[in-house]
Amino acid sequence: MDVTIADRPSFATIRAQLAPGESIVAEADAMASMDAGIESSCRFNGGFFPAIMRRVFGKESLFVNEFTAERAGQLVLTQALPGDIECITLKGNSLYLQPGAFIACEPTVKLSLGWAGFASWMGSEGLFRLKVSGTGRIWFGAYGGIFAREVTDEYVVDTGHLVGYEPGISLKVGMAGGIFSSFFGGEGLVTRVRGPGRIYMQSRSFDGLVAWTNSHLY
Amino acid sequence: MDDFDDTFSGGVFHADIADGRAGASIDCGVSALSAVTTTGARFELRYDACTVRIGGASGRMVFCRSLDQSLTIFCEQKGFAAALQQAAGGLLDEGLAQSKSELRGANARSRNLMFGLCLGCVVLLVAGYFALMAAGRAALAAAPPSIDEKIGELAIEQMDLKGSVVEDPAIVAPLEALVARLAATDPDDPFSYTLTVVDADITNAFALPGGQIAIYTGLLELADSPEQIAGVLGHEIAHVTERHGMHGIARSLGLVVAIQFLVGDAGGLVAVAAEFGRFAAENAYSRDQEADSDRLGVERLHAAGIDPRGLAGFFELLERETASDVDIPSWMSTHPDHAARIAAITTQAQRFSNQTYTPAIPTADWDALKAALSPTVTTPSPPEETSDGRDNR
Repeated sequence: MDVTIADRPSFATIRAQLAPGESIVAEADAMASMDAGIESSCRFNGGFFPAIMRRVFGKESLFVNEFTAERAGQLVLTQALPGDIECITLKGNSLYLQPGAFIACEPTVKLSLGWAGFASWMGSEGLFRLKVSGTGRIWFGAYGGIFAREVTDEYVVDTGHLVGYEPGISLKVGMAGGIFSSFFGGEGLVTRVRGPGRIYMQSRSFDGLVAWTNSHLY
Repeated sequence: MDDFDDTFSGGVFHADIADGRAGASIDCGVSALSAVTTTGARFELRYDACTVRIGGASGRMVFCRSLDQSLTIFCEQKGFAAALQQAAGGLLDEGLAQSKSELRGANARSRNLMFGLCLGCVVLLVAGYFALMAAGRAALAAAPPSIDEKIGELAIEQMDLKGSVVEDPAIVAPLEALVARLAATDPDDPFSYTLTVVDADITNAFALPGGQIAIYTGLLELADSPEQIAGVLGHEIAHVTERHGMHGIARSLGLVVAIQFLVGDAGGLVAVAAEFGRFAAENAYSRDQEADSDRLGVERLHAAGIDPRGLAGFFELLERETASDVDIPSWMSTHPDHAARIAAITTQAQRFSNQTYTPAIPTADWDALKAALSPTVTTPSPPEETSDGRDNR
């Protein structure tokens, strides 16, 4: 399966060239266009109860679509937010994704939902997190650009900028500085991540956009 | 190298692997950890040349790193830490113990923080509720009596009184005179009273904010003496002077605002729950208000030279009337039980030194009133609730 990411970085789309019999699993509503020879089947996102859990707590869709090529053709997948899309190849390792980041994966990748803890919730990353594991490629998106960083010790990320992280990463929410500088300096709470492992961040925060928009409404 | 039976699923960080990481199956050997990646690459880490730490996203990930930090083998599978400790023969005991201790401390701090946050939220919510109630009371205290009068006028215009308004002077005139006599006992009373007599077979009377008082012919028919009617009217006047209706409105509004603040919306089941909670809360409050109105009504009757035991006499009548009714627990009732009220009124009335009283309504007027009632009311009925859901006797 030949997959490229086009229109990067602002309005990235996934263009998958499927050979007959090849499949790709995608988030519901991710399909932008496809050749007529590609069949789509809808199923619960990992079973009924896990799907409900992912919908309620992970802000993911209740259903996922599996696109299978009856004849060779191209499938175009996209995301709702303007921003980049990244591809990662899992080789038996795992990755946690923030709610809403997952776009697509190869059928060999396993999707599951895990408890993220109150630190994640307070850091605006949700009480639950989507775990992708197994072997194969996954594609995830973000608001703005995506950049990765290897964390060996401790690193500080503003809440709302963390997109994904490896299981070796632990999260701790804290203030950016003292009480005065944290709240009056506009940074508020930040997420302190500790490695070893890799984190993926987005260059824009959707919460930041919401706050900025609200401030201009009245 | 002899291996233990246990094989664990984990991963490896190393520069030789494409992208620097891969999943791996891990064995705890006699002298070293070995990891074989999904692509077949094999890595070994000697126990005497590695450091160990527990952490990661789950708080259970065990990291074993070479001293130069070029190789990390990690696993969060259950039993891995114990197998590693056993295989290392004491070499990693100190590192594992220290890491577990740090983790326990962090977990305890996290639990304490969450407990503190939850407690803080509860305190804030409770404080917010009482602050709203206090603000409502303060606003009410500052509101002039003209607001009560306006609300009372609007309310009685919109109410379904369940009967026509009686205009027969034989009935209305002596009752208005009685209200005026009771009102005159307090020259500082800012309210003026308007009495509405309603022709309906309902044993009830009620007061609305600002001085609107309604009394039903069913109640007049049931009464044995004018003092009993005077007792009921004195009680209702106390509801007006103490602004109990306004307090009820303020409480209801405060509760709705508090619930909307808590859940964002008072729709559906929440609204039903809110209504039930409000009903229970108002009843608890009303019982105190009813007791207050009994006490103040008795004082007013005595001040007007009317025998206050008439109020107790009316409750005795009601007790006989409702004896056959289903036994409703007293806390569910809008009013305290009759026996308790009769006892309280009798005790209070006995404490007055001067007990020289005149008839509440002259005998001739009372007889004329009762005679005028006869054609309209046939059979006294058990007490019923008024259209606003409150039994205000």
